[in-house]
Amino acid sequence: MSVAVEAPPAANGASSSSPQYPDQYYYVDQILDRPGPRTDEAFSAGDPVKSFLREQCKILVIGAGGLGCEILANLALMGFKDIHVIDMDTIDISNLNRQFLFRPKDVGQPKATVAAEFIMKRVPGVKVTPYYGKIQDKDDDYYMQFNIVICGLDSVEARRWINATLVNLVDPENPESLKPLIDGGTEGFKGQSRVIFPTISSCYECSLDMLNKPTAFPICTIANTPRLPEHCIEWASVLEWPKVHADKKMDTDDPEHISWLYKVASKRAKEFKIEGVTWQLTQGVVKNIIPAIASTNAIIAASCCNEAFKIATTAAPFLNNYWMLIGTDGVYSYTFEHEKKSDCPVCGGETMDVEVGKGWTIERLIEWLTENQKIQIKKPSLSLGTKPIYFQAPPQLEESTRPNLEKKVHELIPEGGEVTVTASTLPFTLTLRLAFV
Amino acid sequence: MKESQDIESATVQLSPVLETTGLPGLPDSKERRYDRQLRLWAASGQSALESAHILVLGASPTSTSILKNLVLPGIGAFTILDDGVVEGKDLGANFFLETDSLGKNKAEEAIKHLGELNDSVAAHAETRALESILDDDPTYLHKFSLIIAENIPQRILERVTALLWDSSTGAGDGDADADASQTVAPPLIVVRTSGFLADFGIQLKEHSIITTHSDSAASLRIDKPFPSLLAHAFSLNFDKMDVTDHGHIPFVVILVRVLQEWKNDHAGKAPSTYAEKQEFKQRIVKMKKKDDEENFDEAVAQAYKAWTNTIVPSEIEALFNDPSTKNLTANSDPFYHLVHALQIYTSQPPHTLPLSATLPDMKSDTKSYIHLQRLYKEQAAEDKARFTDILRGIEAGAAGAGGGGSVALGMVDDFVKNAHALRLIRGKKWTGLTDDVEALTLAREMAPAAVATHLSLSALYAFEGKNGRLPKPGDGADREEMTAWVKARLTATGWAPEPEPEDSAMTGADEEEEEPMPKEITLWEHVTNAVGEVSRAPAAELPTTAALMGGMVAQEVIKVITKQYIPIDGVCAVDLASSTTGTVKV
Repeated sequence: MSVAVEAPPAANGASSSSPQYPDQYYYVDQILDRPGPRTDEAFSAGDPVKSFLREQCKILVIGAGGLGCEILANLALMGFKDIHVIDMDTIDISNLNRQFLFRPKDVGQPKATVAAEFIMKRVPGVKVTPYYGKIQDKDDDYYMQFNIVICGLDSVEARRWINATLVNLVDPENPESLKPLIDGGTEGFKGQSRVIFPTISSCYECSLDMLNKPTAFPICTIANTPRLPEHCIEWASVLEWPKVHADKKMDTDDPEHISWLYKVASKRAKEFKIEGVTWQLTQGVVKNIIPAIASTNAIIAASCCNEAFKIATTAAPFLNNYWMLIGTDGVYSYTFEHEKKSDCPVCGGETMDVEVGKGWTIERLIEWLTENQKIQIKKPSLSLGTKPIYFQAPPQLEESTRPNLEKKVHELIPEGGEVTVTASTLPFTLTLRLAFV
Repeated sequence: MKESQDIESATVQLSPVLETTGLPGLPDSKERRYDRQLRLWAASGQSALESAHILVLGASPTSTSILKNLVLPGIGAFTILDDGVVEGKDLGANFFLETDSLGKNKAEEAIKHLGELNDSVAAHAETRALESILDDDPTYLHKFSLIIAENIPQRILERVTALLWDSSTGAGDGDADADASQTVAPPLIVVRTSGFLADFGIQLKEHSIITTHSDSAASLRIDKPFPSLLAHAFSLNFDKMDVTDHGHIPFVVILVRVLQEWKNDHAGKAPSTYAEKQEFKQRIVKMKKKDDEENFDEAVAQAYKAWTNTIVPSEIEALFNDPSTKNLTANSDPFYHLVHALQIYTSQPPHTLPLSATLPDMKSDTKSYIHLQRLYKEQAAEDKARFTDILRGIEAGAAGAGGGGSVALGMVDDFVKNAHALRLIRGKKWTGLTDDVEALTLAREMAPAAVATHLSLSALYAFEGKNGRLPKPGDGADREEMTAWVKARLTATGWAPEPEPEDSAMTGADEEEEEPMPKEITLWEHVTNAVGEVSRAPAAELPTTAALMGGMVAQEVIKVITKQYIPIDGVCAVDLASSTTGTVKV
């Protein structure tokens, strides 16, 4: 597949593909000047591939954090010259142990802007266009301009959004609309990278059930039978904070808020003779902190950029389609093809068969949809054909459909009926075919 | 520096909320900066990193990538040795050189841009040539905690590996009498890259790890309950408990009780057959007072623990028989004193490792759980005290023999806590030319792709050593020479090229058994691919390859320096054309 390379020849001159100083691309050119044993026949060695990479290829990097900083530096050195970067965050002191484009003086500044400036200063001839904001701010036209998208995100929701957006962008009539998506993620000494060809190979949504279930403690444990320090911290944040502070929102980035939770959790722990509540643990639990180090980010970002380079140039076959790495015991990695799911809510197009208990209410069905590992929709709205069953928004529709929540599913939907599920936070539609058991 | 003052002043934040609580205050600036990594290796790992001084031979793109990943987490100091001058090709692939660097010394330029990543790291440049240091000042290398050599020509590399290996007397050498003059040379990591391919290995004599962060949990001793646990399990009257309390009995207590009762009925034996195990689980199910008692469900799910024998794991047993434990002297590494003490400890009843104080979470109420946790903690403390007595006895004996010290208490704590997951790695001398026939024979069977990558890089080094130049990119004759070199290595292991498939599927329809499997890539195909890739761009320092190796090698350095987690045992080969890695012990 060489979708990204099938672009028209250079329109105007070849000036920007020439190096800024002699031998700038000395090493990369050795790879681009001739094919290797596994190189696809479509590879056009020498000037054609160089001019595509350096004059035409436009690449988007989502996230300018731990992975993003590394990705930007790698892309610039590999010869990508038109790079865009989106990040909605500002720089925090705890970023400095790995986000190497930032210095203490940059704390508080937008990541995307600082990172872009650094790259352009260090690597002459590269243009990095930053956007300080959310990926959801941008529309289809914006995403349509890129050849490749690389994600270095720490949020599952953001990944689902961009994945679904790129799948929806695919127009079978227009090969340019297929945007390869490369996704990286790390946790401590472990990480993974993957290549997604929207609608063709397994997408992010297809593999949702591979994610670890987030640790959620039952509310009764938190309220009545705490055993671990984490239970005391959850008690402080979930039950005590709203009770004491009413509608004042907890800001997990505010050290004083963490201190308050720490104090309250410590008191409860002492009462129950539970050991181990610390400030750091409190912060870790309420912010759901994932350990992160520069070296793992470097590995995963390099893998992502290596795949981007291979897709853009066809210099070697790209990853099909998942690479995972575990560095805690030696170096273990596993390369495999994750299978596309025919009933994937985003890219499958097929109807998902669901067995529903006879006694289930609509509310129970909605609860099942939010809890199911394969689906994990936060706020699903349901309809049968054009008839709304339950809508989360707008408020008037929510109000008029609310009484349905308590009704039995089979009262509203016939056996074999096809229910359309949509989510306000994600651009996708899922069709369920119900069977009553 | 101004920047660091800014962080200091920004961090001396008092927390009004905590002021009168007696609780420790907010984390300081360093704890905040390193928060995401302290969650992996704690203060002890951090302090090990901060005491380390790393030497890197050559300011290549891979070298600076490795160092970036060590400067950021706060290694103590680093030195780059390079007598070369920055050229355009260096600049283009190395993020830590700038246009201004052209024409200047590589090491001095690189440390400038690496040093600015972290003010607390000392950055040094060594501009002498490596060979002149080896000639005139070989002890220079011994000053460092760890040395990294990237793409050093074979001839010079061999001098470095020999210097560090031969001058280092590992305790495993059996020359225990010579321990007065024992020197431990720094571990050496050798990294080789060529275009999409790379490999690296660690040359070290031995590396013992206590804090392995293993995923395997220590035994809860359900099959061999300690006295207070057994007494507790039988002090409860399950039948008379109210429903709430009954639904909160920890599964550990249930299992200990049911197993003991089972043994009473079965001549002291735990369930062993499938039928018995099912019957055992049924006993637990029948004890339920209500259908939804999750603690009993948990007991059923964990029932296998009742028939899992708590013994000393064979890997730990192997440490008892290690030469370094056998030939213990006063100057032996504390690890072996601890292992020896553990051997004596486990030779006494109940013949188990010391109990771990860590109790996993389980369905229970606070009171029952905390009580059970206390029983584990008390027994663990008792076990540790017995262990420590044995250890101090050994140390006293050693002191009588004219040496010895005392293993720090913190280390004893860690050792006891991790006794089920200790690891010892014995390395070998890096030869790089893969001349260990026996190891290669095994490796080519186990991991053909990784062996092909490793051998093709070795062939590149051999080529350079023999011809005094690198192969010309894409040159057929040079490629043939490297291919022949690899073939000779493989032939020495008794390998013969796989016969060409004779289109049997086309001619003979009767061979039905083996055909449907997808065709596996043969060793020789891997070799052809790998040598072809090396020949394509023999000396290319591809930025992404450099960055990936920078991350992998830095992970290994961190593991070696902190003595936490487990470094590779062998050579890790990386093929970024096929996006695969493999580790082989060659």
